[in-house]
Amino acid sequence: MSDLMTKRPAASGSATADPEAEAPPRRRRRVDPTARGVWPFALPAVLVTAVLVLVPVAYTIWLSVSDRQSDGTNAGFLGFANYAEMFGNPEFWNSLKITLFLFVVCLLVETVLGLALGYVMSLDVPGRRIFQGMMLVPAITASVAVGLVWLLIMDPSLGAANQILTKVGIDPVVWLGDPDIAPWSIALVDIWQWTPFMALIISAGIRSLPEEPFEAAAIDGASGWRTAWNIGLPLLRPVLTVAMLLRTVDLVRFFDTIYIMTQGGPVNSTNTLNVYGYNAGFVDHEPSYAAALQIALLVLVIGIAGAFTWFRQRAAR
Amino acid sequence: MTKRLGGVYAAYLVFAVVFFGPVLFMLWSSLRNNVDITGSLFDIGSPLTLENFTNLFERFAFGRYIANSFIVAGGSTILGLVLGAPAAYVIVRRKLAALGFVTLLARMAPGVLFVLPLFVLSIRVGGPDSVALNYTLLIVAHLIITLPLCIWLLVPFFEEIPISIEESTLIDGANAWQRFRRIALPLALPGLSVALTLSFIFSWNYFLFALALANERTLPLTVIAFNFIGQGSNDFGGLMAASTLISAPALLLTVFAQRWLVRGITGGAVK
Repeated sequence: MSDLMTKRPAASGSATADPEAEAPPRRRRRVDPTARGVWPFALPAVLVTAVLVLVPVAYTIWLSVSDRQSDGTNAGFLGFANYAEMFGNPEFWNSLKITLFLFVVCLLVETVLGLALGYVMSLDVPGRRIFQGMMLVPAITASVAVGLVWLLIMDPSLGAANQILTKVGIDPVVWLGDPDIAPWSIALVDIWQWTPFMALIISAGIRSLPEEPFEAAAIDGASGWRTAWNIGLPLLRPVLTVAMLLRTVDLVRFFDTIYIMTQGGPVNSTNTLNVYGYNAGFVDHEPSYAAALQIALLVLVIGIAGAFTWFRQRAAR
Repeated sequence: MTKRLGGVYAAYLVFAVVFFGPVLFMLWSSLRNNVDITGSLFDIGSPLTLENFTNLFERFAFGRYIANSFIVAGGSTILGLVLGAPAAYVIVRRKLAALGFVTLLARMAPGVLFVLPLFVLSIRVGGPDSVALNYTLLIVAHLIITLPLCIWLLVPFFEEIPISIEESTLIDGANAWQRFRRIALPLALPGLSVALTLSFIFSWNYFLFALALANERTLPLTVIAFNFIGQGSNDFGGLMAASTLISAPALLLTVFAQRWLVRGITGGAVK
């Protein structure tokens, strides 16, 4: 992370969050201004992070193996009954399926569309900055506002989406009321919100690519598409991987928009692990079972993030 | 060349309609009467009104919810800066990259994971009964978002400060804390303002913690707007006005701080 200010092309791997990959050359220092007293500076933040992160995780693990009731009583250690119940519950497998479905669909579409939009955003034309600013808006608008606007757009009878479809002669769609369509509608909202974000990262990556390979390809008479596919894409791979990793972490724990728009319905068709876990804890009042679901989700996040990191390191070699 | 420019602008137009259109639609709808919103989308000549906004304040006491949002987002931002700035400073000066990485883990864990323990804690200490306790709890919960963000945003600013400036004060016998407070901190002022703005917005936008933890008197804007769906589901104008209010800080920010915004949402992954 200490490489944040080194102005090296992103393609060399400096656009990664990997702390060890790109440490800048050590400055020669005669004295170290903080030689004594690292801890007074860092300790508060470390302590707070530890208390805020480790304690909740430890407590959730304890909850998941104990028998806590919604009235606050805890009958103590229960073993793995909650996990057994979870694995035996078809609703858990359904949630896992929906979580993975949204993850795959959104990540794929956001990456491909993000590449196209990112390329357009990387071109040097007047007005580029204004356009970039507009593209930032979906990602930083509060999910609540995003959810509410799309509820209005996707309203079955009055919504803007169906009005436009009717105008061009397509039958209206029951966006959020049909269990077969609702997951796609939710995916659509996430794609709308996060594709520009992908594009921003990708356009920054494209702008920092070295020019020589492209010039060489032009001299060899390679077509634009061939150059993009054979040279641009491989050079962009580190940036793409980081962008996809960031989206992966967010997509696996996808919650806000879903909760606002469907609360997991209809007929549990958008009930991701996160929404399922929240409902189990706060709607069905089964804290211990909800805790087991949260631990499962945490394992999934760590697992997918780990797989990504492993894949990235292997590709870098 | 002109042909290529035309192509780029055509692409701009398409993308702007797709990705910025819904935001414009929200702003526009917040200024229309409900009759017109539920009427035709293509009836663009309908009269505009501020009634949706005035209703929010007169009938639903939105002033208080805005104040609540300010208290929680403001509190967690200040706390995040106070804890994050010294931490970012030592991360830079002592090259404690691993420490920075650990704080980022807090951002990667699923939010619902924190909610159950915090909820139990809240009940234990009487959070649902006491306004002050509940505010404290919300502010501390939002630190999970603001602290890593502050650290990640401040690190590059401290890195820009040449170490020679700090060394020159060694002759005066200044200790580490004095150097940090008198030299590094003032020089990192632009960074502090960026961290302040961005963590305020991210905390302001955050939905989940308040949904589960806030009591009736500490509800922030996001949750009250969500509760709106159940109560007056036909009041689309009110909903869009509420959405506009929630989006206001972010929309204003986009105008001013694009570059930092990208860094803020990517957690430092991209320059």
